Amino acid sequence: MSLSLPLPLRGPHWRRVLAHPAFLLVSPLALLALWQAACNSGAVSPQLLVPPLQVWRTALSLAASGDLWLNLSASLYRLAVGFVSGTVLGLLVGALLGTSPRFVVWVGPTFNVLRQVPGIALVPALILLLGVGEAFKIVLVGKAVFFSVALATSESIRAVSGRWSEVGTLYRLSRWQQLRHIALPASLSPVLTGMRIGLNRAWMVLVATELIASESGLGQMMEMARQMFQMDVVMVGIVLTGVIGFGLDRGLRLVQRMLLQRQGGQQ
Amino acid sequence: MSFRHFLLTLLGAATLTSAALAHAEAAPPLKVVRIATISFANNGKVGHTAESAVLDNDGWLQAELKKRGIGLEWVPVSPAAVGPQVNEGFANGRIDFAGYGDLPSIIANASGIQTRLIVPGGPGSNTYLVVPAGSAAKSIKDLKGKRIALHRGRPWEYPFSKLLAANGLTFNDVKIVNLNPQAGAAALASGSVDAFFTLDDAYLLADKGVGKIIWDSKQSSPDWKMRAELWGRKAFIDQYPDVTQLIATAHIRAAHWSAQEANRKAYYQLATGSGIPLSVVEREYAGDITPWKDRFSPLYDTFLQDHYRDEVVYARNAGVIHADLDYRTLFDTRFVDAALKDPALAGFWAARRSQ
Repeated sequence: MSLSLPLPLRGPHWRRVLAHPAFLLVSPLALLALWQAACNSGAVSPQLLVPPLQVWRTALSLAASGDLWLNLSASLYRLAVGFVSGTVLGLLVGALLGTSPRFVVWVGPTFNVLRQVPGIALVPALILLLGVGEAFKIVLVGKAVFFSVALATSESIRAVSGRWSEVGTLYRLSRWQQLRHIALPASLSPVLTGMRIGLNRAWMVLVATELIASESGLGQMMEMARQMFQMDVVMVGIVLTGVIGFGLDRGLRLVQRMLLQRQGGQQ
Repeated sequence: MSFRHFLLTLLGAATLTSAALAHAEAAPPLKVVRIATISFANNGKVGHTAESAVLDNDGWLQAELKKRGIGLEWVPVSPAAVGPQVNEGFANGRIDFAGYGDLPSIIANASGIQTRLIVPGGPGSNTYLVVPAGSAAKSIKDLKGKRIALHRGRPWEYPFSKLLAANGLTFNDVKIVNLNPQAGAAALASGSVDAFFTLDDAYLLADKGVGKIIWDSKQSSPDWKMRAELWGRKAFIDQYPDVTQLIATAHIRAAHWSAQEANRKAYYQLATGSGIPLSVVEREYAGDITPWKDRFSPLYDTFLQDHYRDEVVYARNAGVIHADLDYRTLFDTRFVDAALKDPALAGFWAARRSQ
């Protein structure tokens, strides 16, 4: 396991011990301990705050029955479709916003107003428009990704267009060549960051949407369990939502690092 | 902050918390009784159910509690999720009483939250089956294999199961989409479900031309209506039986007032406090075979007992609850028995048998 921690490698012995990756487990373990302590204290009803071990057992039985995979795959499918389409559209619109002043005049104001509307506020309107099926959830996921990616793309293209585009003009590059060889490579890192932020937002809005209106998915599993007062299932959902969100973010970070390393090697 | 410092802080926080908890365990003298009530946002005002309004207008309960130095607090819950919110309130001891549905109460008790039915009765709202305005479906039989919006775990789930069974269908013959009433109405309007099983909000959909009602429970046994009645937290009842008696008596006084034909119009008016137009309230109660007075009956009669017996069996078989539950443990009849000794109330309601 290779982890780059921003800690000095040299120093007193105990500092090196503290830099050990095992310390990444400190905060999750402390949280588990607090959770267990809260259960033991009896201050919260055991029906409401289920002890960690029982939540673990519930997670295992949900996994064994296949319920968990059914809901999880439904959620991840929506996330994947929404993420890909949101990213592609976001790159396109972002590139146009970053390069064409006329496009900014035509589309910019609408883009910036829609960007301010939280996805969850669109739920009632989207249900009326698209129904409670897959479409409206995928649109919400796509929306969260689209605006993050489009914004990151347009801003980063605009940020590089100063001195670098002068160099490009000097070399008599066409607009397409400027975009291909200068703007896009320079904006790779911010765009990837935009995708990461978008993915995080999309995951949160997806689970929240599934809580409100869905037939399947992690959020729906939690909502149904809440109605049936199965708090252990609700907590499995909470933990999984966090862990999956964390995993997705880490995964994209890894991709980002690999792509940037390759880019660095080429230059 | 060093690691040791962090550990010490953690330890300190834990000590303080446990000290605070130990302090909270000592039973304090009762200062306030908390009753959950469904709150509706209604044109910028907060509206309540007719039952709460009748009780509030009577003023008897507040006066009796005041004599004993006890306050009355209405704890608002949202109509989108009454059952879960009330059950969570009972579980963490934030409420003492709630007038709410039968199925959520069964779910609570099967999960180990101890509550008791203190006063049976309530308006017994009708249940409705709505289909999109352009649908060709005429009965639930036409909806076999179709998508029906239903909020699971709510007290109208059991009437829905009875409607299915009476038409030779089971839950496996239809595709249930679990949606709260607001989302269910939107889903019907957008055509993403083929039917919607709900309460009198069905008339709002019909009035807007979005849906049409193809079935209602008005001509069926009262068992097909949604039951909502007064439940109390067992720990509270055991600790303060005299206060519980006051709450129970006040509810029976309110039921007695509501059940009189002379007050029916006034009751309708109070029911509009929830934001539902008077025309809907009038239609909800019109042409119903259940006698008006019976809607408010606080008796633990055969009808009620059989209802809970059957509903617990349904909940267990349908996987709504995951533990066995003896329905007889749900009733605490002493408060109604005592209240009905009042000569003004004795004999007002007659016991019903199940039909």
